[in-house]
Amino acid sequence: MKPHRFFRSRSIHNNIAISFSLLILCTTIVLSYTSYRLSSAAVMGNSVAYTSQLIEQVKLNIENYISNMESIAALVLTSSDLEKYVKGSSSGREGKVKDKQLASQYLRSVIQSRTDISSIVYASSEGITVSDRLDAVLKPLPELIAQEWYQQAMNQTGVAVSSSHVQHLFQDEYRWVVSISRKLSDTFSEMEADRQGVLLVDLNYSVINNLCKQIELGKRGYVFIVDPSGSLVYHPQQQLIYSQLKFEQLETVLGIKSGSVTVNTGNEQKLYTVDTTSFGWKIVGVTYPDDLVANKQQMQGTAALWGAVSLIFAMAISVLLSYALTKPLKNLEINMKKAERGEFDIRVEIESTNEIGKLARTFNLMIMKIKELMSQIVMEQEMKRVSELKALQAQIKPHFLYNTLDSIIWMAETGKMEEVVEMTSSLSKLLRSTIGEGEELIPIARELEHIRHYLTIQNMRYRNKFTYSIEVHEDILECSILKLVLQPLVENAIYHGIKHNPEQGHILIRGKKEQNDITIQVIDNGVGMNPEQMSKLLLQKADYRIGSGVGVANVNHRIQLYFGDHYGLSFTSEMEEGTTVTLRIPALYEEGSP
Amino acid sequence: MSSLWSKIGLSALLLFFIVALGWVGYRMFTNELDTKVRTIIYVPKTIDSSIEFWEVMKQGVATAAKEFGADVHTVGTDTELDVDKQIQLLEQAIQKKPDAIILAATDYYRLVPIAEKIKAAGITLITVDSGLNGGVSESFIATDNYEAGRKAAQELIENIYSDDQVAIVNFVQGSATAIEREKGVRDAFSQNGVNHVYDTLYSNGSSQRAYQLTIDLLKKQPQLKGIIGLNEPSTLGAGLAIMDMGLKSKVKLVGFDNSSSEVQLLEKEIMLGTVIQKPFTMGYLAVKTALEVVSGHKVPPVMDTGSEFITKENMYTSENEKLMFPFIE
Repeated sequence: MKPHRFFRSRSIHNNIAISFSLLILCTTIVLSYTSYRLSSAAVMGNSVAYTSQLIEQVKLNIENYISNMESIAALVLTSSDLEKYVKGSSSGREGKVKDKQLASQYLRSVIQSRTDISSIVYASSEGITVSDRLDAVLKPLPELIAQEWYQQAMNQTGVAVSSSHVQHLFQDEYRWVVSISRKLSDTFSEMEADRQGVLLVDLNYSVINNLCKQIELGKRGYVFIVDPSGSLVYHPQQQLIYSQLKFEQLETVLGIKSGSVTVNTGNEQKLYTVDTTSFGWKIVGVTYPDDLVANKQQMQGTAALWGAVSLIFAMAISVLLSYALTKPLKNLEINMKKAERGEFDIRVEIESTNEIGKLARTFNLMIMKIKELMSQIVMEQEMKRVSELKALQAQIKPHFLYNTLDSIIWMAETGKMEEVVEMTSSLSKLLRSTIGEGEELIPIARELEHIRHYLTIQNMRYRNKFTYSIEVHEDILECSILKLVLQPLVENAIYHGIKHNPEQGHILIRGKKEQNDITIQVIDNGVGMNPEQMSKLLLQKADYRIGSGVGVANVNHRIQLYFGDHYGLSFTSEMEEGTTVTLRIPALYEEGSP
Repeated sequence: MSSLWSKIGLSALLLFFIVALGWVGYRMFTNELDTKVRTIIYVPKTIDSSIEFWEVMKQGVATAAKEFGADVHTVGTDTELDVDKQIQLLEQAIQKKPDAIILAATDYYRLVPIAEKIKAAGITLITVDSGLNGGVSESFIATDNYEAGRKAAQELIENIYSDDQVAIVNFVQGSATAIEREKGVRDAFSQNGVNHVYDTLYSNGSSQRAYQLTIDLLKKQPQLKGIIGLNEPSTLGAGLAIMDMGLKSKVKLVGFDNSSSEVQLLEKEIMLGTVIQKPFTMGYLAVKTALEVVSGHKVPPVMDTGSEFITKENMYTSENEKLMFPFIE
């Protein structure tokens, strides 16, 4: 079956439902896909924006810490206690020791409430060292000034910010710090070059560690910090990087001041969001596009699920809607089917004024018209039948009258006056009963009376060429019979049976009841008929020509018109033996109603 | 006929949508399953937070847990010697039906039955740092101790003559780690023609005992030129003995592991260097490998996390700093 045929064979209801569903399916798919695309783009954008914000926050916090330490350094460098000790203005060993104590005390007071600062140390190449610590013992000076913080500060102007490292200033103490060191000659400009010293402020590494660790970037994202030389200040997986288990694209990071870039490290894609602090550290937020993809899958699933749910709802609605739309049509169809079966007493309820309502109205009008036409046709048929009956009745008269009158004339000429009187009297009675009161049904008794008159006339005409007898059961005498049905049968018996028979014939009229029917037989012992003649008898047209057999066919026709096709005439005949005509009608006791 | 076709058509359409919905639901459900949080129980030798090695390994475990989205619970004994308690903890761990158990076995033999039980319960078992006899676990993630021993010996050999006499201070007899390390050391010695190796001294994990044994040996064998300490207390004891005997720079010492005491030995140049392990990497790889096994991937039965030789000169490089001075939060 071809698809379009397949489609065509559906009901409107289903067609509407399917069309709606397909339409909704397409719309839902397009909408779901578009919303998914839009939201995934939004998620991506949001994530980048969010990461940038977080990174900027980290940057500001770190800058804040570092500038705090810078200002502490600046504050310390203006302190008279430190200046006094550094310049060695006090004389004598005792004075120097006292100055050192004062300086140390001052340093302690500066960072007393600062848990983020690990230590403050001043060291100069000429042997002056002072720290805020009372208990800890500084390492020997050569070791100190060989350390990176010292060298870096000496080799540059302004503040040197180290990467994160283990500070080993003190004996037996190894702390993770970020060092800020500054050459002192900037402020004590009058000092000679060999008396330059460096002030060191160490920031507890845990400050940066905690700051970065708390940043949540998606499920797996993290923050790392790299200094301008490319060494990692903070990285949650620093050891893995050193073990070459993990990789970061540090060159790429160092090339960016701020912004986002997607990089491939190992077998994975990462999104770097970079920001740079004022002193050159790069804060890098790392997010995994794969995390977003997982999110995407969820979104895909959600979009598809909601698409499917709304689809099912929409389908249910479309089925209901199409049902509601086609229900009046179905109703109309049912009524039309009824009309098809011939029920015209129907009326479709008009529920709306829309197209279907109009259709129903038109259908109602049509049915009304058809009903009218039908009753008209029935009436016309009835009229036609009645007029036909009248015509058939009328047909009998002239044919018989001519013959009878001829006989009367003949008898009068030969002077058989008594016979003329008898025949004329019979004819008179016959005509009276024939014309009658115009009713169609008469009791059998009357019809028999009528046939006696007729037989009397005929017997006289044919000069006793035949005898006759009537044997009708008394029970049926009161039953109704169509008027003038026996006469053509008797006539037929005389003309076709007796007339050509050289011997005297006999006509027997016998009537009886057979169950609900009445049979009246006209039996003659005349020449008989062959089957061909018999079949011709009933086939002859009921026309107005006078001819043999016409009357018999008329009788049959009338009975069938009046009582139905079950009834009518039947013949049995044998050549040289005679013919029996059987008339069958329903047994009707009450006159007038068939 | 037409109505029958329509019904079939509509039913087919409806069925299609139901199947589609089911498929979507199934996809989401399996997605959920796929992204289900894996649970891992991590059983180190000890949860004593003063022991840096296990703290750092825990950091590695936590880092991997975060990266791979796993739910890791740590249970452990207060000391490394409580084998019975560890077995008991593992029994309890099985009841919790985790996806995987990461175990640092306190005993090479005695934990084998419980390990078999873990495997029988359908739980992935990964051993870390200290393995089990017969290699019961899916993967053993640790330092290649034989290689580490060789590395230590190589460093010593470079600083002595091949006909010099050397000694080994081991920590405990019968420990797999100790045996492997010593084997590496001895193989390296014999391959390089260092044949005067004294009988191994066993410190039994005590630096005092190591100190005493080393003093005794140094007194008895004044021509001793090199000592290898195979773990932290053994190295420390030997180092202090050398220092107290005033034999610095006459007797070369190569050690294992890291502690601030050892750093001082390094700074005082009593010790040439120390071979250190990478517990962070171990912890990280253990979780990663466990998750890979749970997801049905093939993993190698043994994974070497490597070791580094740290000297006074290189201990403040940023790579080694992290290993020598682990930042414990």
